[in-house]
Amino acid sequence: MKAVCWMGKSKVETLTVADPKLLNPHDAIIKVTRTAICGSDLHLYDGFIPTMESGDILGHEFMGVVEEVGKEVTNLRRGDRVVVPFTIACGNCLFCKKKIWAACDNSNPNAHLMEAAYGYSGSGLFGYSHMMGGYAGGQAQYARVPFANVGPLKIESDLPDEKVLFLSDIFPTGYMAAENAQIQSGDTVAVWGCGPVGQFAIASAFMLGAARVIAIDRIPERLEMARSLGAITVDYSEEDVSVLTALKDLTGGIGPDACIDAVGLEAHSAQLQGTYDKVKVALMMETDRPSVLRQAIQAVRKGGTLSVPGVYGGLLDKVPFGAAFGKGITMKMGQTNMHNYMKPLLERIEKGQIDPSYIISHRITLEQAPEMYKVWRDKKENVTKIVIDPWANAAA
Amino acid sequence: MSSALKEKPYAEEVPTTSPASVILNGRYLPPPEDKDGRLWVRTSALIQASTNDLYAMWRNVEAAPGWQEQIKHVAVTGERTSHWVMQSGEKTIEWDSEILADEPGRRIAWRSIGGDSDNAGEVIFEQAPGSRGTVVTVLQAFRIDKLTSAWETFTGRNPKQAVIENLRHFKALAETGEIPRTQGQPHEDRGLIGKMKISTYGEKVPTPSGSN
Ligand SMILES: NC(=O)c1ccc[n+]([C@@H]2O[C@H](COP(=O)([O-])OP(=O)(O)OC[C@H]3O[C@@H](n4cnc5c(N)ncnc54)[C@H](O)[C@@H]3O)[C@@H](O)[C@H]2O)c1
Ligand SMILES: [Zn+2]
Ligand SMILES: [Zn+2]
Repeated sequence: MKAVCWMGKSKVETLTVADPKLLNPHDAIIKVTRTAICGSDLHLYDGFIPTMESGDILGHEFMGVVEEVGKEVTNLRRGDRVVVPFTIACGNCLFCKKKIWAACDNSNPNAHLMEAAYGYSGSGLFGYSHMMGGYAGGQAQYARVPFANVGPLKIESDLPDEKVLFLSDIFPTGYMAAENAQIQSGDTVAVWGCGPVGQFAIASAFMLGAARVIAIDRIPERLEMARSLGAITVDYSEEDVSVLTALKDLTGGIGPDACIDAVGLEAHSAQLQGTYDKVKVALMMETDRPSVLRQAIQAVRKGGTLSVPGVYGGLLDKVPFGAAFGKGITMKMGQTNMHNYMKPLLERIEKGQIDPSYIISHRITLEQAPEMYKVWRDKKENVTKIVIDPWANAAA
Repeated sequence: MSSALKEKPYAEEVPTTSPASVILNGRYLPPPEDKDGRLWVRTSALIQASTNDLYAMWRNVEAAPGWQEQIKHVAVTGERTSHWVMQSGEKTIEWDSEILADEPGRRIAWRSIGGDSDNAGEVIFEQAPGSRGTVVTVLQAFRIDKLTSAWETFTGRNPKQAVIENLRHFKALAETGEIPRTQGQPHEDRGLIGKMKISTYGEKVPTPSGSN
């Protein structure tokens, strides 16, 4: 089959590899009909996440048709249409029972690597480094899905792929970000990053009762999209704009009730602080560039909540923990507990309350993926979300 | 005990001792230190199954190749004895093992009695506080020189890590009926450095089958 492979930092190639096989009794093989490139894939592309190895198949947002199931999979059949959550969960460990699916104890075959780095291991993820399990990803024509009795969401209506594909990650991720923001009706919520995760966080914040959402980014088409959802936008790149002042001005001086960092470890920063982080990361004295996190901690109101869906990988410098303590804020974060949200959000889509496909800007073939990783990183061509049809012909 | 604190609605009694010696008289006991060529490893897992079922699964030594790394074959040779065959790459080693203590639903202790491996171990099954499952604690000792241990770390698993991984496999098998694995999945050729790294990640050690 054809698959998008990570071949080193900033090096992605579409290659022909072996087809996946069933390896465990709860496995399923999915013929992938749509897959997407995520902001999280950029952290791999840019070499921020350790334990990627050349030859790894990328991709964790995918859906398709069940091709084959292992002997213990009783709820799926060949031909079923499914969306696959990017976190792999067993359904039976203490964490799965507590519905903290992204902390599943039994899905990471390389748990010892993550234990060494984080103390304990989270769940395995598709196409997201050996530390996170070393599973082959879904930017391919076929994918093997472990614990297929627990994860995949069956799509029984005839909704097109594009409307349900984002249930595999970014819609639930944006939704959990808003849930983690502990929004009470009437709240003002600030969202950093108007990428796909930020977009769904904005939409979800409104669904959960926010009276006002303030969206921060620098990319015009993304800010435009945020305004179309009803948010007030702040372009942080404009010369005379200070985000902290803007947020004070827009909240009568008290700050947002909740802040959502939907940017993560590769935050862009034009200020001196940005140069500082770049140098420190290059010298390996710091692994992440936490400029948004710092800003959000500073901005949130006293007793407010900071929700962090943006990914962080390692060691952060100059995080104003004193401000967090001084204001008595709550912080919530983590990989999305996908399995809690897929079904209820599918219902919202079915009811026509939201059509997630509005963020798609590019539809491509597998062959075009390497080129589009670059476009996606550089945020060129007005890119907002890239969807791959693994069976489309390159020439088409 | 002082009566200073009267309100502890869910507190449970502190055990005075626990068999694998994690607690003694209310104090935490650290694991034994490596000394005189004897390596110790202590590891524990919280498993969603009953103490009795987990005891039975562990006691069924002939099924051990299904969840213990590099164990090729185990044969029961007597009421308390068994013969073990382990294959690590090209190397095959064999030994006999004897059960020293056998308390159904609670504890098993064993030691090797001749052959290529000098090891002794104990596993205990205890209900977790708040009935949140069973805590399985394994304490195992080996005689092995440090150099071999370092070499094995580089090439795959040293025996300490193997004990930790085996308990992880045991837990996965008990909770889900399978052991998570990636061996046999597709990838592009990794090149020399990639292959070396995969080996240091421990991904070259065959994952046990998860069945008998
Ligand atoms: N928690 C999870 O489970 C989970 C799941 C999916 C994605 N993520 C993470 O969410 C984050 C966003 O993902 P995405 O797909 O939307 O990525 P993206 O790269 O498309 O979006 C990031 C956006 O942040 C903006 N940005 C950069 N620096 C900024 C700054 N200083 N202030 C304000 N905005 C800034 C960029 O312009 C861009 O629009 C990533 O870190 C991704 O890894 C997390
Ligand atoms: Zn993603
Ligand atoms: Zn689990």
